Amino acid sequence: MQHHATIAEASFIRDVDLKPARKSRGRPIHRMLVSFSAAYFVGALVTDIVYWRMPDVMWERFSIWLIAAGLIVAGLAAIAYVIDLAGRRRIDRPAWPRVVGYALAVLLALTNAFVHSRDGYTAVVPTGLMLSALVVVVLALTALVARALTNRHRFGV
Amino acid sequence: MMHILKNTRSAKLPRLAALLVAVAVLGLAGCDDHAGDPKMQIGANPVLPALQQYLMPPIRVAEVVGWGKETPSVPEGLQVHALATGFQHPRSLYVLPNGDVLVVESNGPKAPIYRPKDIITGWVQSFAGAKAKDANRITLLRDTHGDGIPEVRTVFLDHLNSPFGVALIGDSLYVANTDAIVRYPYQEGQTSITAAGTKLTDLPGGPIDHHWTKSMLASPDGSKLYVGVGSNSNVGENGIGAEYERAAIWEVDVASGAHRIFASGVRNPTGLQWEPETGKLWAIANERDEIGPDLVPDYLTSVKDGGFYGWPYSYYGQHLDPRIMPQRPDLVASAIAPDYSLSSHAAPLGLAMYTGAGLPANYRGGAFVGEHGSWNRTPLNGYKVVFVPFSGGKPSGPPQDVVTGFLDESNHARGRPVGLAVDKNGALLIADDVGNTVWRVSGSTPKPAS
Repeated sequence: MQHHATIAEASFIRDVDLKPARKSRGRPIHRMLVSFSAAYFVGALVTDIVYWRMPDVMWERFSIWLIAAGLIVAGLAAIAYVIDLAGRRRIDRPAWPRVVGYALAVLLALTNAFVHSRDGYTAVVPTGLMLSALVVVVLALTALVARALTNRHRFGV
Repeated sequence: MMHILKNTRSAKLPRLAALLVAVAVLGLAGCDDHAGDPKMQIGANPVLPALQQYLMPPIRVAEVVGWGKETPSVPEGLQVHALATGFQHPRSLYVLPNGDVLVVESNGPKAPIYRPKDIITGWVQSFAGAKAKDANRITLLRDTHGDGIPEVRTVFLDHLNSPFGVALIGDSLYVANTDAIVRYPYQEGQTSITAAGTKLTDLPGGPIDHHWTKSMLASPDGSKLYVGVGSNSNVGENGIGAEYERAAIWEVDVASGAHRIFASGVRNPTGLQWEPETGKLWAIANERDEIGPDLVPDYLTSVKDGGFYGWPYSYYGQHLDPRIMPQRPDLVASAIAPDYSLSSHAAPLGLAMYTGAGLPANYRGGAFVGEHGSWNRTPLNGYKVVFVPFSGGKPSGPPQDVVTGFLDESNHARGRPVGLAVDKNGALLIADDVGNTVWRVSGSTPKPAS
């Protein structure tokens, strides 16, 4: 009896040990925020294109608010990334191409926010529109490169 | 490198420093933005540099320190003292026939937030004292002895809506609120009006109301009112629909309240006066921002009936502004270049053609201009009252500094001049909306009261 009880106790302790370990390998928080900000930046490109074709100030205002919202969420993503690193959550390896690409996109978007704060048509055409497009291109390339590298890592190529 | 908000309250410095660092790190502030000499931009043919567009337009507001025991400086032959102090944002002045001085204490309506930039703009304006508590009233000062010390001070009219222009025609006093001209019955000698006003006509007001001051001048025969209606944006960024009948000088029929556009394309006509020799209408106007420290010069000009002065499509005649789309080459072709540049960002907000006898004879027939001062250029420009000599109905020389000392040695603002008026004894009155004072400039050998 004494022996059996010891085994049960040991297996219980092992279960408790495993649970937080498995949770820490869950989806990192920052990934969702990164996706959100990317969606805002893509939205800004769409409203910029509409403004370029039909210069009504409403579209220009949509663009600057979308860029601003994207930047705020990007800031939250950066905080979440630090928390994820500190919490040793599983971050897709290799992480650096993603981080560098995303940081570049956010810096371009910040510059774009200044350009979009100009008055009138030149807040968008041509510099703002070009920057909006560039942000989306950098985000897309980052996602593609990161996925390629992840797959290579996963399949051990 | 740009110096952003160089002189601001120390409590705000950490935030500003963070902003400066953020911008500098990004390398956005690499351009050298030192402005040219404002003297190069005086008169009929100002030097106009190529326009620049910014990632971060320079902002430089003078920190407000107040007057303390100081007073403004005036040249030899003149003297200056405070007619009265303790106002709440006095913006314009009007002298009634019996010599009573009306001080319009006013401030703009709350600006709506359409873009993230508007949040920053509101924040910058608060440093410059532009967000001071506004009384929205008119105070009366009566100086029966003509010695520059008023014996009577009463609230003349209260509960107004961002008033600016005032004009008396017969026994009717017209007040230009930001959204309407209101008529009040007035008897000479009255020290307050309690009667309800009657609306003569609506004026373009909210919800944007970017340039809210409505300057106003009665025609000599009393049949018309001329009203300066400023634009609803810097350069059309709120949409051309928001500019309907704005950036214009209205001619309002006093009998019916009907109006027509007398002149258009004047971005912000802040002061209107009759030129004494020719009887023509002259105006001061504030031009557009954010295309450089030396663009676009603010000006003083005669106003032609039906004339178009460029805004927003062009400036100084046919200089195109790329920030407005669609463009209007048809209008640009007809754009009139203003008569006399006052240099860029000086912000003229007060105009008085001098016909009095209280000041030395060389001031007769010319124009005093109150320059509120720049907020977006280094070095600062304006912050003084200048005199533009006239001869033959036209400006005849460079402006002379008449009232200075609104900035101290370290470029802090003791005050900022706004509206001007000439009192019954020919002294020049200056509303100071940061010093909350009305200054009186008279000849240094005061004439006895008439």
